[in-house]
Amino acid sequence: MTAVVLDGIVLGLQFGLLGVGLTLVYGLGGVLNLAHGQLAVLGAIAVWLAIGTGLPVLPAVVVGLAAIGLLGFLLDTTLMRPVYARRGDERVLLGLLLTLGVAFIIDGLLNWRYPIASLNISIGGDPISILGVRMRTGSLLASTIAIAAAGLLLLFFRGTTLGRGVRSVIQDEEGARLVGINPASVRNLIFALSAVLAGLVAVTRSMTSPVSASAGIDFTILALIVAVVGGLGSILGAFVAGILLGIVNTVSSFYIGQYITTIVLLAAAALTILLRPSGLLGRRK
Amino acid sequence: MSLLLEVDGAEKRFGGLPALDGVTFGVDEGEILAVVGPNGAGKSTLLKTIGGLERLTAGSISLSGSKLDGLPPYRIRHRGVAMVMQTPQAFASMTARENAVLGAMFGSATGLLSEREARVRAEEALGFVGLSDRAEDPVATFNLHQLRFLELARALAGHPRLLLLDEVMAGLNDAELEASIGIVRTVRNQLGVTVIWVEHVMKAVMNLAERILVLDFGTMLAEGAPADVMRDPSVIEAYLGSSSSA
Ligand SMILES: Nc1ncnc2c1ncn2[C@@H]1O[C@H](COP(=O)(O)OP(=O)(O)OP(=O)(O)O)[C@@H](O)[C@H]1O
Ligand SMILES: [Mg+2]
Repeated sequence: MTAVVLDGIVLGLQFGLLGVGLTLVYGLGGVLNLAHGQLAVLGAIAVWLAIGTGLPVLPAVVVGLAAIGLLGFLLDTTLMRPVYARRGDERVLLGLLLTLGVAFIIDGLLNWRYPIASLNISIGGDPISILGVRMRTGSLLASTIAIAAAGLLLLFFRGTTLGRGVRSVIQDEEGARLVGINPASVRNLIFALSAVLAGLVAVTRSMTSPVSASAGIDFTILALIVAVVGGLGSILGAFVAGILLGIVNTVSSFYIGQYITTIVLLAAAALTILLRPSGLLGRRK
Repeated sequence: MSLLLEVDGAEKRFGGLPALDGVTFGVDEGEILAVVGPNGAGKSTLLKTIGGLERLTAGSISLSGSKLDGLPPYRIRHRGVAMVMQTPQAFASMTARENAVLGAMFGSATGLLSEREARVRAEEALGFVGLSDRAEDPVATFNLHQLRFLELARALAGHPRLLLLDEVMAGLNDAELEASIGIVRTVRNQLGVTVIWVEHVMKAVMNLAERILVLDFGTMLAEGAPADVMRDPSVIEAYLGSSSSA
């Protein structure tokens, strides 16, 4: 049981990182990015291509994530502009449609150019024992990276004025403008950051199991579930939900079966919406 | 004295009705100008158009000769125009200091300061309004009076040239009113900040303002020295006729 729970935490930390990008973009601009998972996979494939050119893994990861971050930035400054120019339902709907379009385009391109590509970073070394459970070094490294990234994010958003500036836009865009913040450039940067985080998750996933070019939709669904359960717009909520759902995921696939796990996760999301519509840590409006 | 702000033929329509109609005036560097008028006269709208929160439908606004209208609010803030709104806007989930540091970091002319410099300016501003000992407290625990002072500090932390105040003295008791009047006067005297100040509390207006502009239904009824303006028959009628709270 301990092993299953530990595995769940490892997975959950990555779920959290995946969800936090989605939740931030939603909090800032009201856009649920349905291409989030596709950006993650595109990041992984970019790393795979970089490795293919003969780059060592670490520089390849840096190059791949930088590329996906740049793409995120460009998407937000070009395609998403008409979305942010609108208000209310119109913005939500246009945002969903456009990002869904992006998701299809990325899936299509990957399927056309790299149908059998998959990133699989193997981390050598003997398993290490934690709480009496032997953990693979790949899992440990993936968790360490996820913990470090999560820690840095929380430090940035809670401990620095720059981070509080970003949060202030989520809380009250007009108030943020009044103190001199330009919400549009905050959105640009956060969209880019969210793409980098998505790519990072795909990279850490690939340390324990291969990430294929067609995995985008799975990542998107996961990110949506995590963000909804954590409370859309809540950074800490995404991590708490990520870890909880990671544990639910491994426990249910261990005791019930892998094929039903997605349904269990969706049920968890549905239950959260019924019991706490604003998510675990979301603000009630 | 040199002209700081110029409002020329300002018009703002919501749907068909004008909230501002041909408003034209100037404000000198270092002046305290009070804007008064009955409820719905367009006073808040005037401040919002200067601050960029509402767009003019006609006319122009310029600061030191360069065009202000049409710029987004954060740009206007970086040009040195800070605003304290009628309803408090401070971020309730943060402490007073965090709010003030935000104002310093993002509200300054460059649009971004170092964390250290921003903290120094925030501390100064909090001290200025007498909130140093409340710096660590969450804003949610502040009363109305303290909230307004905090917003003033947040505005001052960005080192503005022009301060727009919207009814910051409404609902205060006598002691708080005295304190507020004193602080606005010191802001001008010590920091050299120009102030445009919308107010219903006539006692404070007569005490502090150097010039008064009277708005009614979006048009300018009168403008001039406080004592003169208040003797103006059209002003008296506007006030008595509207039976406002003034
Ligand atoms: N966003 C808006 N949409 C439509 N009408 C508006 C809007 N804002 C203001 N108005 C209208 O414009 C007119 C002027 O409003 P404004 O808030 O400027 O008045 P005010 O002088 O500040 O009044 P008060 O003393 O009550 O604060 C009012 O008739 C108001 O109803
Ligand atoms: Mg008003």
